Amino acid sequence: METILEMERITKKYGQFTANQEISFALREGEIHAIVGENGAGKTTLMRILYGMEQPTSGTIRIHGAEKRFANPAEAIDSGIGMVHQHFMLFPSRTIAENIVIGNEPRKSIWFDRKQAIAQVGALAERFRLPIAPGQKVGDCPLGTQQRVEILKVLYNGAKIIILDEPTAVLTPLEVKELLITLRGLAEQGKSIILITHKLHEVMEVADRITVLRNGRVTGQLEASQTTVEEVSRLMVGRELDGIRRETQQAGQPLLQVNRLFIRGKKGKPLLDHVSFHVRSGEIVGIAGISGNGQSELVQALTGLLPVDEGTVLLQGKEITNRSVKQIREAGLAHIPEDRYLWGTAKEASVKDNAIMGHHRLKEFQRGGILRQRKLDQLVTGWINSFAIKTSSLANKAQNLSGGNLQKVIVAREIGHATPFLLACEPTRGVDIGAMEFIHQQLMDKRNRGEAVLLVSSELSEIMTLSDRILVMFEGKVVGELNAETATEEQISLLMAGGKQP
Amino acid sequence: MKQWKQTLSSLIHPLIALLIGFLAGAIAISVTGTPILQAYQEMWTGAFGNLYFLTSTLARSTPIILLGLGISLAFRSGYFNLGAEGQMVLGAVAAALTALYMPGSGIVKLLAAMAAGMIAGGLWSLLAAWMDAKFKVNLLISTLLLNYIASLFAGYLVTEPFKDTTGSAALAQSRMIEQGAWLPKLFAGMSLHAGFVLAVVIAILLTLLLRYTVFGYELKITGQNPLFAAYGGVNRTRVMILCMLTSGALAGLAGTVEVLGSQYRYIDGSLTAPGYAWTGLMATLLANSNPLGTTIAAVFLAALQTGAMGLERNTNVPLEISSVIQAALILFISARFTYSFLKRRKEEKNNGATV
Repeated sequence: METILEMERITKKYGQFTANQEISFALREGEIHAIVGENGAGKTTLMRILYGMEQPTSGTIRIHGAEKRFANPAEAIDSGIGMVHQHFMLFPSRTIAENIVIGNEPRKSIWFDRKQAIAQVGALAERFRLPIAPGQKVGDCPLGTQQRVEILKVLYNGAKIIILDEPTAVLTPLEVKELLITLRGLAEQGKSIILITHKLHEVMEVADRITVLRNGRVTGQLEASQTTVEEVSRLMVGRELDGIRRETQQAGQPLLQVNRLFIRGKKGKPLLDHVSFHVRSGEIVGIAGISGNGQSELVQALTGLLPVDEGTVLLQGKEITNRSVKQIREAGLAHIPEDRYLWGTAKEASVKDNAIMGHHRLKEFQRGGILRQRKLDQLVTGWINSFAIKTSSLANKAQNLSGGNLQKVIVAREIGHATPFLLACEPTRGVDIGAMEFIHQQLMDKRNRGEAVLLVSSELSEIMTLSDRILVMFEGKVVGELNAETATEEQISLLMAGGKQP
Repeated sequence: MKQWKQTLSSLIHPLIALLIGFLAGAIAISVTGTPILQAYQEMWTGAFGNLYFLTSTLARSTPIILLGLGISLAFRSGYFNLGAEGQMVLGAVAAALTALYMPGSGIVKLLAAMAAGMIAGGLWSLLAAWMDAKFKVNLLISTLLLNYIASLFAGYLVTEPFKDTTGSAALAQSRMIEQGAWLPKLFAGMSLHAGFVLAVVIAILLTLLLRYTVFGYELKITGQNPLFAAYGGVNRTRVMILCMLTSGALAGLAGTVEVLGSQYRYIDGSLTAPGYAWTGLMATLLANSNPLGTTIAAVFLAALQTGAMGLERNTNVPLEISSVIQAALILFISARFTYSFLKRRKEEKNNGATV
């Protein structure tokens, strides 16, 4: 196979900080080349350089052997490079066809030729086997379809090299499968694909070759067929990962009991539709589901942030339905929120101020309304050491921490409450593998101490690794309960998509 | 070291704003033909040149400090109090009437008047907070509009039922308060009164409150991310009510010390015409809602005004030069304010897209 793109000894420095250190990699025609690495490893910087959004400090880019320099994305597009961004850049109120042809519209004299646009887009979709309805409004399409629109947009502009930035982050398991098939199809038709991701199972399934980055350097270039997930993750993290082991353990008494919880929605469709379940001490119960099927509402209802219309919640036998957040927390609940920036932290505030939330009320840390600063400093410093949180000081603003470190602050704070029950929502979203393993171990330790954990996650592998029992939510209902020992990914995926329990 | 650096960087922006303000002033001064350096020197002398000028600057700054502190407390908790003016006026008129009609000795009248002034301002602010909590009436709008009601109502009180009929002039003002109920002057023959000391003490107390107390912590977090506060079990309505109440009480106190310390009666328009409340708001913005910073900024802004008076006395540069400098300051500071507001909006949108 011919080499279509070469990036040679690319170095990018931001002041003292080196984001890319002499990175070289070559893309062959018709291959899928995965670039993997933890957050901050330099994947995004490298792609921004290729797409003309950043200029390299040194190094060269060659396409078909000819040296190129892209001052902006338009020049990159002219050279046949296309990028599908993680956040879609579409106009929801316009049709699929209009979104695809924008910037390069077919015309009839000075008028936009809508019929021609629809025909062209239809033909394009046919050719690359990407099923879409050109006349449909983008806002009405599921995310998987919107992504196909993004890919078609890139193809419409004549891209030979397609960069996909974390393309599966927002997709359902079924959509992920379809996307991977699509990518294979594109490669077979001669397109060269660069896939940026941190999901190694997908990489192993679809990629031909893998380039691993760590701290801005290439730590390995591998043929996918001759390597394993373990080897790649070792190259990514720089050390051996232990993996999480779940020891069998007898679960105790029900600690959290949820009975027929019901929240009326605005459009007549209930947000929560008579949800019942329980969590016993010494077990982790996982709630799987595609985002937006009532998990957020369930979590907010359990934690006192959203009032419920019907039903009851009992924690340690005590009714906590529609109590205040403070009362519920005092009854024995800790909560890792699903969005750490929206709910979990104040990014303008210091690491310390973020870490002491909730603890600041305890007798141990205040006297007559005056905070005992020294004791609080000790508490937080202890966490920084035991959780290996990287921060320059306690006074450092939370926004200066990386996502993984900030998440560790939240986990430390909530585990630090030492409550009998922990509600963990998306505990490792956007967190690198090292931190992920650490957080998983913390949750497992909590379970092994005989405490209860309710884990809400859209990451199936997380649910399957940690949970003792798995509940699946679909459209505000619990549509299935599975034993984690026997459940398969296919079973869960099917339930998540609204299928029947087999 | 790190902290020192952070403090320094937080000072850079206001300092640049000042520089630009003075630059704009310099252009205006040069138009009048007065040498720029000489003009600024006159201004400095007019503001701080001797004990008399210094104390009148500090006296002028007293209500501005108290208003600024009240506004900054509300800002720190994430709520807008644009109603400081109305709260101040109601505080002033309540204090004046209490001092006039409260039976008892001078000191009893004084203390009762101060309490009445703070309660009046606090309750007026609380009304807006209550409307927000109960009916979701936007604080920004309610506090602003309540200013008009307060000013006109206070004006009515001293033009109709409590009008001073003893004097020959038919001014809209209350009778004069007896001397026993006055706030003591700090220096004989100077205008500076005990209210200034009170203002500085309150600034220190607020700094301690924010830094060392449970309530101060919850207040700051509510201001920085209300959702995080709610998630952590902070009762936001309670925080808002308490902050708005205190904020209004401080504005009321500003009016009270003006009445008890320098005017000795309530004169219609005497507190609104100099724009104390808006100068206080500016001091808050200039200091990014830091209580001690607000105090310093308030003294500075007062000095700008007293300095400009000195300038007008001794050169042909008119008093309005202080307005030019202030306007340039406002422009620059509000630019940053708008910028950070827009940035936050944009980030919220981005975060929304990630979910």
